Amino acid sequence: MKKAISMAMALTVALTTAATTVPVMADDPVELTIWSPTDTAAIEAWWEEKIAEWNEANPDIQVSREAIDRSDSYAYDNKIATAVTSNDLPDIFYVDGPQVSYYAANGITVPLDDYFSEEDLSDFVDSAVAQNTYDGSLYAIGATESSVAFYYNKDYLTECGVDVADLDSRTVDNPITWSEFAEIAEKCTTDDYVGAHIIMDHGEGLPYALEPMYLSAGKDYISEDGTTSDGYVNSEEAVTTTAYLADMIAKGWANVEPITDEFLNGACATMLGGSWEIATLTENADFEWGVTYYPVNDDTKEAVSPCGDWAAAISKNCENVDAAGQFLQWLMNTENVATYAAAIAKPATRISAYDEEVMADYQEGNLALIKEQLENTAVPRPRTPSYAVFSSAYAEAMTNIFSDAASTGEVDNDYIQSELDVVSDTFTDDYETYYAE
Amino acid sequence: MAKTKKLTGRKRDERIAAYIFVTPAVVLLIAFLVVPMIYTAYFSVFRYQIMRPDAMKFIGIENYIELFQDKNFWQALKNTVYFTIIVVPFQCALALGLALLVSKKFRGVAIFRTMYFSPQLTSMVVISVLWSVLYNANPNTGLFNSILTSLGLDPISFLNDENTAMNSIIFMSAWQGAGYQMMIFLAGLQGIPRDQYEAASVDGATKFKQFLYITLPGLKGTIKYVIMITMIQAMKLFTQPYIMTQGGPKNSTKTLVYYIYSEGFQRGNFGYACSIAAVFFVIVVCMSMAMKKVTTSTE
Repeated sequence: MKKAISMAMALTVALTTAATTVPVMADDPVELTIWSPTDTAAIEAWWEEKIAEWNEANPDIQVSREAIDRSDSYAYDNKIATAVTSNDLPDIFYVDGPQVSYYAANGITVPLDDYFSEEDLSDFVDSAVAQNTYDGSLYAIGATESSVAFYYNKDYLTECGVDVADLDSRTVDNPITWSEFAEIAEKCTTDDYVGAHIIMDHGEGLPYALEPMYLSAGKDYISEDGTTSDGYVNSEEAVTTTAYLADMIAKGWANVEPITDEFLNGACATMLGGSWEIATLTENADFEWGVTYYPVNDDTKEAVSPCGDWAAAISKNCENVDAAGQFLQWLMNTENVATYAAAIAKPATRISAYDEEVMADYQEGNLALIKEQLENTAVPRPRTPSYAVFSSAYAEAMTNIFSDAASTGEVDNDYIQSELDVVSDTFTDDYETYYAE
Repeated sequence: MAKTKKLTGRKRDERIAAYIFVTPAVVLLIAFLVVPMIYTAYFSVFRYQIMRPDAMKFIGIENYIELFQDKNFWQALKNTVYFTIIVVPFQCALALGLALLVSKKFRGVAIFRTMYFSPQLTSMVVISVLWSVLYNANPNTGLFNSILTSLGLDPISFLNDENTAMNSIIFMSAWQGAGYQMMIFLAGLQGIPRDQYEAASVDGATKFKQFLYITLPGLKGTIKYVIMITMIQAMKLFTQPYIMTQGGPKNSTKTLVYYIYSEGFQRGNFGYACSIAAVFFVIVVCMSMAMKKVTTSTE
C-alpha cells in the first residue's frame, strides 16, 4: 500500500514536472503573474494601465495580473492555501498585513531586502515597514495603509441632542472616550436607528477594527514577541473590553446583523469605519456627516488606531526573483504609490507620495485626520506566524459573544472569559505545534 | 465451428466496446474520488501544516485519538445528524405533497411546477445570502421579523440564537431542495396505473385511502431512492452554514464538512482535517448501508 502511494505521488510529481518544465529560449521574456484581490473599477483600471505601461517599457519582463475574489471572510487566504498545496502559487501575490508573518515563517514568501534599501524604506511610514517585517527581514511591500475612525451622522445626532460641534472639535490628543461613544449610541437608538455600527464582518475585519480598544485598555491580543496569547487576549482587560462591546449589542445600541452600508443607508447614527469610507460617504451620503479620532479607554486615555493594508510579496515558486524584485521597485515608486492610493481611497505608505497632486486632499479635512492618526497612533497587528489561526478563532469567539448578547439581552462575563480562553488555547496549540522551538 | 468463432469474435468486440464505454468514467472516478480518498487516508496519519508540506511528520493514529477527544468534532457530528434526521423527512414530505399537488391536470400546472423547481436552478450561495436578509433580526431589514412585529409579536434572532439557527437553516434547505425531489416523485406518480385509482373509486375508497393503499405502495421504490439521496446530501451540509452563520452561534450550525474546512483551510491543520474527512467517509458509508438494509428488510 505504502509503495503504491509512493509510486502514485512520484508519478504525480513527474507529470507535474514534465508539464511545467518547458525549455525557455534565451530571448523569451520573463513572465510574471500577480494575484491581488478584486477591487473597485478605479483600481481595476489602475492595474490595467500600470501593467500596460510596464510591459511596454520592459519587453523582457512581461507582467499579467489575476484578480482574486476576496469576499468578506477568508476566501482569498483559502485560495493561497490551496495554491500552496498544489504548488501553484503565482510569482507575486498580495497579502493582508498581519498574514505577512504567517507566510514568511512558513517559507511561502522570500525576503525583499535586496530590492528595498534602508534609504528606500525611510520614505515609508513606520507602521507599514513594521507590519511587513518578520524576523528582521522585509517580506512584503505595500502602497497603502489604512485606519479606522469614528463616523457620525451630524443631522441625526443634532436631532437627538448630541453636541456635534464638540465632536467636530476633537483632536488627536483629546479623542472621545468609550463612555462618550456609548452615551451617544444610547441617545441615538430608536425604532428606526441603531446608535452604533461596530461589526465589520465575520473575518479579519473584527480583530483589525477592534484591536485598538484592547490596546487602549492596556493589553494587546498577543505578546510583543508573537509567542504568547495567554494573559493577553484572555486577560481581565480583554474581558472588560469585550464586555463593553457586547453590552452595546445586548442593549440594542448596535446590530449583531448589520445590513450592508448600514451607516450610509441611514440605519445607524455612528460607526467605527475604515478610512476608505470617507470616499464612499463623500460620493454617496445624502446627509451631513463627520469623522473624528478612534475612541480611547476612559482610564488610560491611550490613543491607538488600526493600520495595515494589503502588500505585495514574492512567492517561493517565483523562478525569477530578480525580475519580480525589479517590478516591485517600480510598482512602489512615489508616483505609482500616490496614484494607487488615490484610486483606492486609502492613505499612502510613502511619505513623499503626499507631495503628489493626486494626494492633495490629505493636506486638510477628513483625510488629514486619517493621515494624522497613521503618523501618531497607528499600531500594527501582532506579528506572529500563528496570526491566521488567531484571527479566525477570535472572529468566531466574538461572533459567539455578540450573538449571545443579542439573544439574551445580557452580558455574561464568565462566558466571555471562556470564549477568550478558547481563542488563547487555539493560538497556543497552533504556535506550539508548528513554530515553537 | 465457424459460427462459434464468429460469436466469440462478436462477444470479444462487445467486451472491448464495454471497456471503452466504461473507461472514461472509471478514469474520472479514480482520479477524482479514489486517489483523493487514498491521499486523505495517507495525510490523516501525519502532522501536516497546510503551508509546510515539506515538514510533514508521521504521527500514526494521534490525529484520530485527538479527534475522538475533540468536543468540537462531537458537536459537529451531532449537528450534522440533527440536520439529517429533521431535514430528510421534512423535505421528502414537502416534495411528495408538492408532487401530489402538481400531478393534477389543470390550467397553469406547468407554471406551478416551474415555480416549485426554480429554487433548484439558483445557486445555494445566492439563496443563502437572500435568506440571511429574510431572516435578519432587525424588523426594518428582515421580512420574517417585519411580519412578526406587524402581528404584534417579538422579533426572533433566527440566525443568531443557538436554539433557532439550525432550524432556520433546515427550513430554508428543505424549501430549496424540495423542488428536485418533487420532480422525481412526479415521475414516480406517473408510473402508477390510473385504473387502480378508478377501481378503488368504484369500490368507494376515499382520496386518503387511495393515497395510503395505492400511491404510497406505488411510490415505494421512488421514496427509498429519494430518502437515500436526500440523506447523503444532508450529511454534506456546508454552504448554508458557511454563508449564513459561519458555524455559529456557539457552534450550533457547525457541521462535519464545515469543521473539515475550518480545520484544514482556516487553521491549516491539514492532517487533522484529513482524519475528520476519513471518519466522515466511514460514517456516511455506514449510514447509507444501514439505510439500505432497513429499506430492503421492509420489502
